[in-house]
Amino acid sequence: MTKIDTTEIEMGKRTLHRRDILALMGGVAATGALGLPAWAQEGKKGGVLKVAAPANPSSLDPATGGAGSDHSILWTMYDTLVEWDYETLKPKPGMAKWAFPDPKTMVLDITTGIKFHDGTPMDAEAVKFNLERNRSDQRSNVKPDLSSVEAVEVTGPLQVTLKLKNPDTALPAILSDRAGMMVSPTNIKALGNETDRKPVGAGPWKFVRWNDNEIIVVTRHDQYWRQGRPYLDGIEFNIIPENATALRSVVAGQNDMAFQLPARLKPVIERAKSLELVSSPTLYCIQLYMNYARAPLDNIKVRQAINFALDRDAFVKAALNGLGEPARMTLPSSHWAFNKDVAGMYPTNVEKAKALLAEAGFKDGLELTIGGYMDQDSVRRGEVIQDQLGKAGIRLKFSRGTIAEISAQFFATEKKFDLLVSAWTGRPDPSMTYALGFDKGAYYNAGRTADPELSKLIQESRVSEDLSKRAEVFAKIQKFTVENALSAPLAFQFELDALSAKVKGFKPNLLGKPKFENISLG
Amino acid sequence: MLNSSRLRIIGRRLLQAIPVVVLSTFIVFGLLKLVPGDVAVTLAGDNASDQRIAEIRELYGLNQPFFLQYGSWLWKAAHGDLSSSLISNEAVLTSIQRCLPHTLLIVALALFTAMLIGIPLGIAAATKPGSWIDGFVMAIASLGVAVPNFWLGMLLVAFFSLQLNWLPATGAVSLMKDPWASLSHAILPAVALASGGIAEVARQLRSSLVEILSSQQVRTLHAKGLPPSAILWRHGLKNVSVNLLTVVSLLANRMLAATVVVEAVFAIPGMGGLIVNGAMNRDFPVVQGVVFTMVLIVVTLNLLTDILYSVLDPRISS
Repeated sequence: MTKIDTTEIEMGKRTLHRRDILALMGGVAATGALGLPAWAQEGKKGGVLKVAAPANPSSLDPATGGAGSDHSILWTMYDTLVEWDYETLKPKPGMAKWAFPDPKTMVLDITTGIKFHDGTPMDAEAVKFNLERNRSDQRSNVKPDLSSVEAVEVTGPLQVTLKLKNPDTALPAILSDRAGMMVSPTNIKALGNETDRKPVGAGPWKFVRWNDNEIIVVTRHDQYWRQGRPYLDGIEFNIIPENATALRSVVAGQNDMAFQLPARLKPVIERAKSLELVSSPTLYCIQLYMNYARAPLDNIKVRQAINFALDRDAFVKAALNGLGEPARMTLPSSHWAFNKDVAGMYPTNVEKAKALLAEAGFKDGLELTIGGYMDQDSVRRGEVIQDQLGKAGIRLKFSRGTIAEISAQFFATEKKFDLLVSAWTGRPDPSMTYALGFDKGAYYNAGRTADPELSKLIQESRVSEDLSKRAEVFAKIQKFTVENALSAPLAFQFELDALSAKVKGFKPNLLGKPKFENISLG
Repeated sequence: MLNSSRLRIIGRRLLQAIPVVVLSTFIVFGLLKLVPGDVAVTLAGDNASDQRIAEIRELYGLNQPFFLQYGSWLWKAAHGDLSSSLISNEAVLTSIQRCLPHTLLIVALALFTAMLIGIPLGIAAATKPGSWIDGFVMAIASLGVAVPNFWLGMLLVAFFSLQLNWLPATGAVSLMKDPWASLSHAILPAVALASGGIAEVARQLRSSLVEILSSQQVRTLHAKGLPPSAILWRHGLKNVSVNLLTVVSLLANRMLAATVVVEAVFAIPGMGGLIVNGAMNRDFPVVQGVVFTMVLIVVTLNLLTDILYSVLDPRISS
């Protein structure tokens, strides 16, 4: 963008020592070593946290919105039926405990005494209302998440039973996402579509004000069901899409925190003495999407050649300032369903890539079209990939544009480009990732085709409730997608946040979307 | 000041504004529809499916014919309803009412700064052409044109906000709510925006003033024994005022456009951010609303300029 930024990158290279990278690879554990506050301690009550938020939400109604950047803001106002463990994303009880008495029945037992911000009780009727709305309202974007649900029955004042069409053990994780964010039925009935901008949930803070592209304000919900929480009296989200500007606002003390910053800003955070840097692994997977329904990527050898030609370690260093984990599959090594047996399948091997291309009939290499975005970080990634694949004789012809433009050209009806360099933002349950990205007819599977074996495995991944059994199925799915080279994962981008010294107790999570429940102002 | 010929100008200009507004919003609408990308995909969100996208097109009327979509927007706009953002559901008029004052404040302040610094510099250079002052002013002017305003903005923030802590680095405050805070937020962006303007005002003023001051008429005035200051103020500047007005009005139009970048650097929730976000997401009611407002402002500015022309120089009447 400017001279300033180039020097920042150069400085980043110089100051980034191997030790730093190793420390950062350690992720959450290492953040403690970097001098971060112990989050487990009780926080001080009071104060308003000012946060630089990277995007204007698509909606403040969880059912009608759709952007992945909404969650951090939604979670302040909405509690979910199910929550997850920060480090591994294993589901754990939220406002409800769940059980599967048989594979096609899920029972939700709701915690007593929860009230929405408007005083409406958060009981079985409210949960039924929400789940019915989520799976049938014409404005609901979460219908597919609940497609396995056949009926929602109230079986007690605080008990809801879901009858399922087919076994679906991804539901707990699904209910930790949008589908499990409970909104006040009273509010929906009274306001209809206007709930997009006047949300009422049961979360730790309640809504005050939202000015598009400017600010969102939430304030403490005094009747919050968790005793002693929240610590903060309120949160003010100042919407600043330009990352460098967001960071400057924290350096200048106008905001207390900026999150989801690009790696290139790491040296800037380090230089600002008053700031704390938080970095930890996320599910955010930078990858090459492939349209393998047509030539030349319908040829497995070409896809494998691409995977062999990529040098993921170099990519992390060159494109992410070392703030990432080389990706061998669509899940990072810290995830509960990671399959280490397939991790070594594609070591960087340019000769092997060339040989595979020759076997596929491209002795002199080949040209592939690729779509990419035009922001600074995407361009930098594209250049690294172009160089790496070029060494194996794969010449990339880049088209760049906005995210809306390029991703629609690749995924929607036009089917432009053989490849797309983009990212998969991750989902609470891995079966969502594979169903949305690789299954037959899935939108993020540009070619829409899938091997029946893979589709069968994806369904199977939702049968058992036992995580170790599910992990076995996911191991097979990963083996299938990696062996067949259905995508070329490059790197899991680490979350990078800048915090002012008075912010205590912040704890990053594997989803990479900050929650503010543990934060207090010292 | 408002005689019949001027009223006629105003009436005619307002009539001319109608086709300008219609044409410009039509072109922008066409461009938004022509370029690839679809607001339905954005609306469908992260879990999009082909079926859901089709449903949303139906739900929001995005599958209707092009002219019908534009027509229904225009019909509503003509009745004072600028629709709502397809994505966030905020009324476009509400967004504009909130964003426009921020943008106008910066532009007005930048314009004022450009004249406040540019005019004395131009006069100083013109009264002693070829001197070191002239050289110095022209060097500053060239630099002012060459330096990109977003880069200057970042330097200003680095120095005045981060180092000295004198002024806020980002954001904006409403002038009504807190005039002092509002101005302190607007100073740095206005200066960044004004840099090119200062240069332009100084250069243009210098060249036209040099031309006037070396004319035969001024030589006569010298011969009559008028002091140089009287010649400069009463005869020189009066003669260049029309040129200066042209420069300033063009500058105002250009600054309105240039705020897009400056607003991003300073995180000002103004019209620039509104249109960029709208265009990125193909949220056409927002883009249309901003274009509509901007066209109205530019038309008004031009009208004002024309009226001022005839005030400054009575020979210009039609």
